Amino acid sequence: MTGDENGGPAPAPAGPLEPWPDTVRWQPISRDLIWVELIRLAVLLGVVLVGLAVAWAFTGARAFGVALALAVLAGAWRAVTIVRAVGAWGYAERPDDLLVRHGLLVRRLSIVPYSRMQFVDVSAGPLERAFDLATVQLHTAAAASDARVPGLRPAEASRLRDRLTALGEDRAEGL
Amino acid sequence: MSADRPVPPPEGHHWPAPPPDGHPWPAPPPHGQPWPWDGGPGGEEPRRRLHPLSPALHGAKSLVVVIAGLSWSTLSRVGLGWFAAMVALLALGATVLAVISWYNTGYQVVGRELRVHEGLLWRRTRAIPLERLQAVEVVRPLLAQLTGLAELRLEVVGGGKTEAPLAYLGVGEAAALRGRLLDLAGRVPATGPAPAGPAVPGGGSAEPPGRPLHGVRNNDLLVSQLLTPQAFLLPFGLLFVVVQFLSAGSWSFIAVASTLTAMAGVLLQPVRRVLDDWNFRLARDDDTLRIRNGLLETRAQTVPLRRVQTVGVTWPLLWRPKGWLRLRLEVAGYSGAEPDDRNRPDRLLPVGDRATGELVVAEVLPGVRLAELPTTAPPRRARWLRPLSRQALGAGLDERVFVARSGLLTRRLALVPYARIQSVRVVQGPVQRRLRLATVHADTAGGAGAAAPHRDLAEAWVLAAELAERAHAARRAR
Repeated sequence: MTGDENGGPAPAPAGPLEPWPDTVRWQPISRDLIWVELIRLAVLLGVVLVGLAVAWAFTGARAFGVALALAVLAGAWRAVTIVRAVGAWGYAERPDDLLVRHGLLVRRLSIVPYSRMQFVDVSAGPLERAFDLATVQLHTAAAASDARVPGLRPAEASRLRDRLTALGEDRAEGL
Repeated sequence: MSADRPVPPPEGHHWPAPPPDGHPWPAPPPHGQPWPWDGGPGGEEPRRRLHPLSPALHGAKSLVVVIAGLSWSTLSRVGLGWFAAMVALLALGATVLAVISWYNTGYQVVGRELRVHEGLLWRRTRAIPLERLQAVEVVRPLLAQLTGLAELRLEVVGGGKTEAPLAYLGVGEAAALRGRLLDLAGRVPATGPAPAGPAVPGGGSAEPPGRPLHGVRNNDLLVSQLLTPQAFLLPFGLLFVVVQFLSAGSWSFIAVASTLTAMAGVLLQPVRRVLDDWNFRLARDDDTLRIRNGLLETRAQTVPLRRVQTVGVTWPLLWRPKGWLRLRLEVAGYSGAEPDDRNRPDRLLPVGDRATGELVVAEVLPGVRLAELPTTAPPRRARWLRPLSRQALGAGLDERVFVARSGLLTRRLALVPYARIQSVRVVQGPVQRRLRLATVHADTAGGAGAAAPHRDLAEAWVLAAELAERAHAARRAR
């Protein structure tokens, strides 16, 4: 929709050094997630701005005005990064493991074998539901494992969930 | 968590455990009923109470907490008599609560699970599937040793803290139950519990059953704990107090007492280590590790070898002249959320020289030679991120384990068996991106796993792919 820096269905996070370009087909997530994230940001920003504005009006201190301006700037910067960050999310199903990558400033790639899966969460908050989205999260026994895929269409989310559980059961090993 | 009285299958009973051979699955007793422990309904093992002395022990334990909680300042404010009265009152209250809790606590082994019932108002039945058992520990605090009791601790994956500490049981009972649980946990010790039974009830016997691997000399332990920063700085602290006391002269008893208490707090860690690791004995019994240690509070830990997630090697700076190292092991179930690392049976070797370390590592991770682990340092440009410690960093792939090295002053080595890797992550921060570096993490179920920091980007991808591949192969091989 807006500001896609790399174009194409799967923007590359590491440019020419994207891992295993010939074996991995990255799936992008829905760009509607941008709106969900933007609305979340707007609500948060709104609360902060109102608070600061009220404080400014009552005290008249210059500092609150500066803080207000900074908050607006930070919000605008965050809005830009949201748009790009959603483009950076991606996941790929390989025969034995799920790959998830995300992050712009700090880029992360997780490789989670299906056999290590403990359970799968599918969740959708009110905002996500309004945009017809859902989040799938894969949990392993390691707390540090980080395999969350937001911004999936419900059909795709349930397909992924079913596939993950089926594959997980197939190869279950746990610990 | 609460299971209401009228509901027959309380929370936690949802495991459709296999019926014990032959018997039809006996229905769990309704909860409102009086204690069904003497002769439950046909075939089901009776529910058993903890040892009747346990409330007294809990009460005595709370005494210490109460005194510590009231602290010096309260003592000075209310005077000794009132202080004693307050302590007595609080301790009495705690004991009454302990009696009530004891009366309502029971355990039973049903099929392949251990059930622990507890609670008066909020009843809770926790069913612990024994296939998931990660480690068993028999702990005997000083008071328990005097009274011939022991606490049995089970570690299960996913537990935020130690699950089901059965405190307290008679020593013989604890040992028998441990053997039985490990036996039920399956495959793990084929013959383990049988010899364990007669060996352990002796209580005083310092040798764990099985083939002894190593015993730490208490001398070495003492010296090693004197070679810690805390012990090094103690004289300066004492000097400070004395100078203050002499020069100011206005210091009250409270101030001195508090300062001394604070200093004792600093010293607590090395002292506790000495007390905890006294008479450290390591033995191998089939596929389990048996660790026995402790002076005032003895603990006997049983860790199945295939439950070992990570082995960590540490060379503290002050130990370097001696060439000593320390080994820790991580087991799933001991979460990092437990800040008091005292309860984590992760000390594999409190202190030892290089040869000992190699021996123990080779025993725990077969085929791993500590001296010949292939690690390579990150590329030169990583010095922008780690100007001093770049050379100390490193990572490598051994035949069976992933090796990560770190730490300039306190050198550390983490060994993660490929079969234990839960997931692999590649993380690249903004500065790393400039420098075309990335960090590869291998996550495990217990502890922090291992990380290969600041690798060349292309190498990081290869490393991640290789780790994922080897983890897969290692799991398939078993």
